[in-house]
Amino acid sequence: MLILMAGALLTVDDLLWFLYLYPLRFLSVLTPPALIYPLGNLYQLCARKRRAKAIDRMLGAPSAGIARDRAPRIASKFLANSSFRMLDDLILSWPSCTRRMRCLGIDGIEHLERGKAAGKGVILLTAHFSACRVAKRHLARIGYPILTVRQEISKGEWWGRLGRRILERRRVNFLHAIIGESVYVQDPGCTLKILRTLRTTGLVDIHFDMPSGSGTRPWPFLGVPWRFPTGIFELVRLSGCAVVPMLCLGRSSAFRIVFGPMLDIVSAPGRDEFVSANLPAFVETIEKQIRDYPEEWQQWMTI
Amino acid sequence: MDDHLSGPSQDTIGRVRRVFVESLHLKVGHAELSYERMLEEAASLDSIAVLEFLTAVEREFGISLEPEFLEFDFLRDLAGLAAYIDDRLGRQRE
Repeated sequence: MLILMAGALLTVDDLLWFLYLYPLRFLSVLTPPALIYPLGNLYQLCARKRRAKAIDRMLGAPSAGIARDRAPRIASKFLANSSFRMLDDLILSWPSCTRRMRCLGIDGIEHLERGKAAGKGVILLTAHFSACRVAKRHLARIGYPILTVRQEISKGEWWGRLGRRILERRRVNFLHAIIGESVYVQDPGCTLKILRTLRTTGLVDIHFDMPSGSGTRPWPFLGVPWRFPTGIFELVRLSGCAVVPMLCLGRSSAFRIVFGPMLDIVSAPGRDEFVSANLPAFVETIEKQIRDYPEEWQQWMTI
Repeated sequence: MDDHLSGPSQDTIGRVRRVFVESLHLKVGHAELSYERMLEEAASLDSIAVLEFLTAVEREFGISLEPEFLEFDFLRDLAGLAAYIDDRLGRQRE
């Protein structure tokens, strides 16, 4: 009743965020992961509409290579992974999180080292996979700090008055804490901060599977029309940095990081020509990651 | 950064302004241009434009800005930027 009356005072999202940011967060530090993760499996059982929508999206992306009979199982795993990621975020929000993270292995670290050795910094080409935040926290801990390029944290349209007053700031601080060092594409000095990191042979993570920034270029993605960000190409062209694909799989209690070989960058005289020359290889790289691990990709609902 | 704030040459300021207009493809005369305002507007529309401007300045003067100077606030200060460039060119000649 309170919720219905309010339109303003309290919304369902307020309640969910309250549960997530307070009781669940405290539960996450007191409870072994083996007991927390079943919550994720519970979620997929009660999210039938989302599951049906995910199946639709998977089958509607012809180049994803998902057969009709496999789609329901992949969609279930995808939903479970989405909730595991939210639970992992809770774990990452505690300073003691590293004790609870277990990396099963890092493949292809020599590709990353080769990129760093070129001396102009490395852009890590990634897509929205469920273990990205966990993997980046682990890499930072073992001596590979990464600057994340991301959209500004949205203020959220969903808050009621109580949520806006009590929870909004809490949510932003929570996200800042788990994401770590980052730069927002809306920041006018964003590209300078990225360049500074690259020129000190640092690592910059850019999720390439979502349009961000002011420039985009249309190109098919998994067989559907899509727009890709072009800012990454200008960064590569003007900085001369290396581009190394990174894939992060699993969850905090068991995750794996895979670096691919450095991409061969085709030089071209101008901005547009450079995008045209290199976009197909970038897209192909992340398409392959998604085809290989469709249940771990987190953007099925948006494609 | 304060060390660089005094006495930039008018020639350097003029060259930076020219590079600014050319790299951002602005269609306005130098006299009409408020450098700081236009840079802010260009950056808010497309932060890549700032990067293009920076690399054009580096090409023009044959220098590479040190990482600690890769700040939007530093780039926005025309006199400070020009003084820094003069200082770097002076050090190169020595």
